[in-house]
Amino acid sequence: MIIPIGPVHPALKEPLRLKLHTIGERVIDAEIDYGYVYRGIEKIMEGKTWQKSVYLAERVCGICSYIQTQTFTETFEKIAGEEVPLRAQFLRVITNELDRIQSHLLANSTYFKTIEHETLFMYMLSMREMIMDAIELLTGNRVHMAWNVVGGVRLDAKEVHLKSIVDILDKFESQYPKYPQMFENGPLLGLRSKEVGVMSKEDAIKARAAGPIARASQVIGDLRIDKPVYRDHFDFKVIWRDEGDNFARNMNRFDEVTESIKIIRQAIENLPEGNIRKKIDIPAGYADNRNEAPRGEVAYMIETNGNLIKNISIRTPSIMNIDACVKYMFKDVATVADALATYASVDPCIACTERVVIVDEKSGKTCEFDGIWNVKSVDLK
Amino acid sequence: MSSVIWYLYEFARKGWIEKFAGAATEREIVESPDRFRDFPEVIRELCIACGACTAACPSPAAIKLVRTKDKDSENGEGITYPVINTDSCIRCGFCAEVCPTDPKTLRTGENHLIREKFTILPAEKMFVIDDYLCIRCKKCMDACKVEGAIVEEDGSPMIDPSRCVACEKCAKTCPVNGAIKGIYISNVEGQKEVINLVVHALEDFIEARQDELNELQPEEVVELEFPAAEVMEQAREILLDEDITRDIIERVTDRLKLRIITWDDSKCKQCRLCVDECPTGTISHDEEKGVVRDSNKCLRCTTCYQTCPFGVAGFYIARFLLTETELKEGNILVTVKPSLLPV
Repeated sequence: MIIPIGPVHPALKEPLRLKLHTIGERVIDAEIDYGYVYRGIEKIMEGKTWQKSVYLAERVCGICSYIQTQTFTETFEKIAGEEVPLRAQFLRVITNELDRIQSHLLANSTYFKTIEHETLFMYMLSMREMIMDAIELLTGNRVHMAWNVVGGVRLDAKEVHLKSIVDILDKFESQYPKYPQMFENGPLLGLRSKEVGVMSKEDAIKARAAGPIARASQVIGDLRIDKPVYRDHFDFKVIWRDEGDNFARNMNRFDEVTESIKIIRQAIENLPEGNIRKKIDIPAGYADNRNEAPRGEVAYMIETNGNLIKNISIRTPSIMNIDACVKYMFKDVATVADALATYASVDPCIACTERVVIVDEKSGKTCEFDGIWNVKSVDLK
Repeated sequence: MSSVIWYLYEFARKGWIEKFAGAATEREIVESPDRFRDFPEVIRELCIACGACTAACPSPAAIKLVRTKDKDSENGEGITYPVINTDSCIRCGFCAEVCPTDPKTLRTGENHLIREKFTILPAEKMFVIDDYLCIRCKKCMDACKVEGAIVEEDGSPMIDPSRCVACEKCAKTCPVNGAIKGIYISNVEGQKEVINLVVHALEDFIEARQDELNELQPEEVVELEFPAAEVMEQAREILLDEDITRDIIERVTDRLKLRIITWDDSKCKQCRLCVDECPTGTISHDEEKGVVRDSNKCLRCTTCYQTCPFGVAGFYIARFLLTETELKEGNILVTVKPSLLPV
């Protein structure tokens, strides 16, 4: 039997169609349909100047919007071959980690809602609110911060802001540790989460899973350790687990929150003096850049002629995780309710995942998109 | 029963009615933080109508300039000021950042304070004053409303690119045609390619008509018409923009002056004087073919024309003008005349 779920369904945050193949209630396979919220942001950016497009890149995702602008600006700094001042890099690290904390807490809260544990769901959201306050204090706005620009950041952090961020983190840390313990030791939570939706290490590698979802399946990799500013100035460890089930994915996110708090504290302590912004002249050229997003891995490929954006292609964080979920985690799930919980545990983001589908006009079939260089070879009319 | 009496008493109380009728919060429930970036606030009186904010806005239709009518005087124009459409504004604060007035016309929280050091205006053109053509009338300095955008250096005006907002007001007031140039910043390589394309196409077009030119008497003029449609089409594929392509081709043909060299093999007596004189090796001598000229290497320096005693090489000057016709593409008018250099 095939059970269709979505595109509009109370358990899904965003529109997507899941078709679950079931025997009785046991889910053995699944199919997935995208295409309900495609917005065409890349096409809007083409032909606009790069100064404007920073603010459009922010609108790709509504939750992890910060990392999109950071990757965008870093790509342009790569084209120019320049580095931003160290103080700006540290401020970017602080905001990035604050954004990661709030994204992880929101992802976990969604999972707890799908397994009907309303208490933890509310706790998670109330904890997230503190972090949102910290972001608002530093950058001015809660989600779309407009804080990054090519060459640095727009506003300097004053002593008052840093002090109140530390205060917020103190308060956060005093309350936070009991929630992972609740999840770890709760017997009913364990029954719903442990050994449900298991993805092995081989499957995770085959599916190109990234981020906390891959690390929960023992694929140990974090793009942050390759970034110069993280590598040289911060001491943190990469969290990973070996179970590969819903429990591991959520615990992985819980543990990464504490690591992020450690990074923010180090950044505030060692914040160097200096400029926050520098003038960068952009030559014509092409560059690509990857970054560790809260949900996975984001990649930008940009070709510019020095003033306008000629071609741009974005790979958003959660597309490979959703595919991994559908292909490998739904192989043997006991109930349909567990299947939905598994889907929520991979932290899907549909609005930012929806990319263009290329259809060959002659044959009428979808064809593969092999990089922005060959876009002209496909007839897009 | 007792509760009914209590409710009746409670509702009839004067204080309750007063509170119920005048229910309002005393202050804002949500306090916005210091750095909160709201919709831009517009102070109409300060606006200089330069259009920097509308050029900078990343969202379509979020901001536009509006001009009011002045009722008192007959032909008077009222004030111009930007209007924010809150339905499509994304509150990035970029318009406030680029606003060149002091104090700023548009304000959003703290973010508008940072402009001075960075060239952040996403303009398509950069304006430059040609010092050779400038007559120092300084009308542009009066027309420019951005403080410090045009400065005087050694008696001649200069445009400071970090302050210019590319509103084109100076170029419109300038009495000398072409003294203030708007240069497209983006795609410089593409622009070079287009210029080369146009020049080569024109050269090939004229050199294909050597017979016609050879029969020209001194002080006679040939007028030709070059259909520009094909070149325009190719140029548009390079630059991807109709208006920019047309503008560039217009400017290329406006001030272009080409030297044309013709070669008449029948007059050649194989004296080989020109082979030694030619600086680039365009003209070479071969045992079988005799003296051969390869026009791709030619610099049009006219040394061969001045050297040759038999008049093999001819030297003509061509001028161009892009005309508007009923067709959208137009033609390029070509005027060719023999040069007046003594042989």
